[in-house]
Amino acid sequence: MTSARAAPRDWTQRRTAKRERLEAVRSFTSGRVLDAGRMRDALQALLRPGDRVALEGDNQKQADFLAEALADCDPGVVHDLHLLISSISLREHLDVFERGVARRLDFAYAGPQSVRMAQLLADGKVEVGAIHTYVELYARMFVDLTPDVALLCAEQADHEGNLYTGPGTEDTPTIAEAAAFRSGVVLVQVNELVERVPRVDIPGDWVDLIVESPRPYVLEPLFTRDPREIGQVSILMAMLALRGVYERHGVTTLNHGIGFDTAAIELILPTYGEELGLRGKICKHWTLNPHPTLIPAIESGWVESVHCFGGEPGTERYVAARPDVFFTGGDGSLRSNRVLCQLAGQYAVDMFIGSSLQIDADANSSTVTEGRLTGFGGAPNMGHDPHGRRHTSPAWLSLLTGEAPALRGRKLVVQITQTFRSGGTPAFVESLDAVQVAKDSGMPIPPIMIYGDDVSHVVTEEGVAYLYKAAGLADRREALAAIAGATLVGRRLDERRVEALRRDGLVALPEDLKVDVCRAKRSLLAARSVEDLVAWSGGLYDPPAQFRTW
Amino acid sequence: MTSPPPPRNEDTDWTVMLTRTGFIELDARARATALLDDGTARELCGPFDRIESPWLEPQGVVPQSDDGVIVVKGRLGGRPAVVIAIEQAFQGGGVGEVSGVKIAAALSLAARDSRDGTPTAAVLLLETGGVRLQEANLGLATVAEVCSALLELRALQPVIGVIAGTLGCFGGMSIAAGLCTTLIITAEGRLGLDGPQVIESEAGIAEFDASDHTLIWSIDGGAQRTRTGLADVLVLDDVTAIRSAVIEAMERGVPGEHRSQRIGELRARLEAVDPAAPPAPADLAAVWAHAVPQEGDQP
Repeated sequence: MTSARAAPRDWTQRRTAKRERLEAVRSFTSGRVLDAGRMRDALQALLRPGDRVALEGDNQKQADFLAEALADCDPGVVHDLHLLISSISLREHLDVFERGVARRLDFAYAGPQSVRMAQLLADGKVEVGAIHTYVELYARMFVDLTPDVALLCAEQADHEGNLYTGPGTEDTPTIAEAAAFRSGVVLVQVNELVERVPRVDIPGDWVDLIVESPRPYVLEPLFTRDPREIGQVSILMAMLALRGVYERHGVTTLNHGIGFDTAAIELILPTYGEELGLRGKICKHWTLNPHPTLIPAIESGWVESVHCFGGEPGTERYVAARPDVFFTGGDGSLRSNRVLCQLAGQYAVDMFIGSSLQIDADANSSTVTEGRLTGFGGAPNMGHDPHGRRHTSPAWLSLLTGEAPALRGRKLVVQITQTFRSGGTPAFVESLDAVQVAKDSGMPIPPIMIYGDDVSHVVTEEGVAYLYKAAGLADRREALAAIAGATLVGRRLDERRVEALRRDGLVALPEDLKVDVCRAKRSLLAARSVEDLVAWSGGLYDPPAQFRTW
Repeated sequence: MTSPPPPRNEDTDWTVMLTRTGFIELDARARATALLDDGTARELCGPFDRIESPWLEPQGVVPQSDDGVIVVKGRLGGRPAVVIAIEQAFQGGGVGEVSGVKIAAALSLAARDSRDGTPTAAVLLLETGGVRLQEANLGLATVAEVCSALLELRALQPVIGVIAGTLGCFGGMSIAAGLCTTLIITAEGRLGLDGPQVIESEAGIAEFDASDHTLIWSIDGGAQRTRTGLADVLVLDDVTAIRSAVIEAMERGVPGEHRSQRIGELRARLEAVDPAAPPAPADLAAVWAHAVPQEGDQP
């Protein structure tokens, strides 16, 4: 028998590499603090070709100062980086690839840069590892994509490296943990260096380097919707959803996507919902960013708790004044956490409702359209039925499925959309653009946002389709077609079949739900303008400048 | 059924905000009707008269059967009045040949009625970007007619301008606004000769960033225009509040001298501003108060 024992191995190579990197930037630092004026040179000293670098870019906050410095690096010194970015939002995120500083990319969402992303991919400037959902990308940071260097952002740091993220904690602790505990370097841009942080969101011994950014990091008010832009059709759909889904299934725990359709639902709770006597019966516990349009429902006593993925600019004072509802720290401000909120959204809420750009005849949906590589973001995490759930609730059990004894409930996964989008583009299509995009860019599978078999309900201005009740694929297609209006998908269905589907409960039209279409007016909105939202908050909501019209 | 409880705040202003009926919510026809005494409104040259602009269709624009101007006669606080409302949703409230003539004719007829023993005041609801580009010189000519008719009427009866928002009042019609006996504006309303986008496209983003809401409202906004005396009454966006303000303005009648006649005062204001180093918007009211110590006290 030969000995399997190989030559003695160095088990601390990553730790050694980290020590060497920090040694290399010593001349740029005083303690943990890097000189902001020499950021580019510091990064060139810190990084090595081929490094895996997590650059914090969430859907709201961006480590933009560090992104700029990275994009500015000399490709002769720093090249072939492998970037992990959850949301590609800034020009600099892609400049890095155009300039040859980075080559490989794993990401989750590229909304604002989706056109350029598709172009860079076609030009061979970027190699995409995979397009993920948010939590999936973070999960991989703990498995096969651990970062060598994490470039993050926070509101404040003290000289011990303790970080205060304020309301927008989002992804920062998760990425920091992945790097810090496997000998990665954690470098954080902060808006302000302070003597003492108001609360510790990330402990200082996870943080190696801090730089005081010359300006606050970029923060997008992504979840603010101006009620003035909510039209009658959205209000009608909100009424249908409230009666046909929320009330019928007794949904108490939920998540709302971003958009005017779900904002309309939030705004008719204190009016239409109140009239239906639903307060206290539905919509009590939320996993949701602090949507300004939820303020009237909170103020009217509908909402018991809200856990947030991230913050929302302008809601800071309001949230701080409602600690019974929101998760807040000792300093009074919101504590958000994207990964935990995603987890809560998967296992602890009974319903997800969101809009989509395209839905095919089988109810598969996607936001990827021709010439754009948007990615997924977090919607697939929310918009699926998690098979790891075991606790029951009336709403979950109301979608009972499976064969005895393997019976189980189902999460309500609801898609809400007008049959035609602005400009007359049909929302219901024969084939998703995603299928063609996958072919064109050589993806192994089409980038589908929410799989049709996960979708339990679809709401349009025509009515509600109860897809979970369909016995087979043919039934499901017909139920969907029945509410697809004048789109090609909708026109395929015979009127008599619609009658049969209504009788069988697969489809409900407004009259079946006792929804008076004539009442779908803007006067049903508890707030009809941003000024109204401010009034509902008692002056605590400070809308960002672009939403102020006074 | 219970109605939603009022917000938990001691500041009563917010309760007023929430119980108001938004004027901005209404379209031009509903605004005109909402201002007049209940049951007195009667539309003149309404959509069924089909008086359309002949210039839009050849340029690929679908015309509207009222050409975007609604003229409604009725009573305001019991007295005869005509309300002329520009619909901001049609061509950005742009004034063309037909819509301009509708405004001018309504003002002239009110003047004639006033001379003939039925004193008729006018209310202009100004949500307009000015002259409709598709009708160019014809639009410009009608703005002149509007101003001339306004001057004719204001000597006899008050002409009250209301800029509620959200579009605001710009271009040629801002001149008409300047001629009004009383100008009522909300905080959402805006008043200016050149609109933000026009300034940006003509003079560049360094001169004026049309996406900067704070900048726009600090200059054109209702609060600033009232502070600096270019508008008279700042009201809440509320049907009742705006109607009361209009009736009060009517009851004040025709002043001895209109704002646009106080040339000395206006000149003193212009002279107080150095275009090379303009004052910050927040300081303008003080600069002008200093330049013109007492209102109307001019040679």
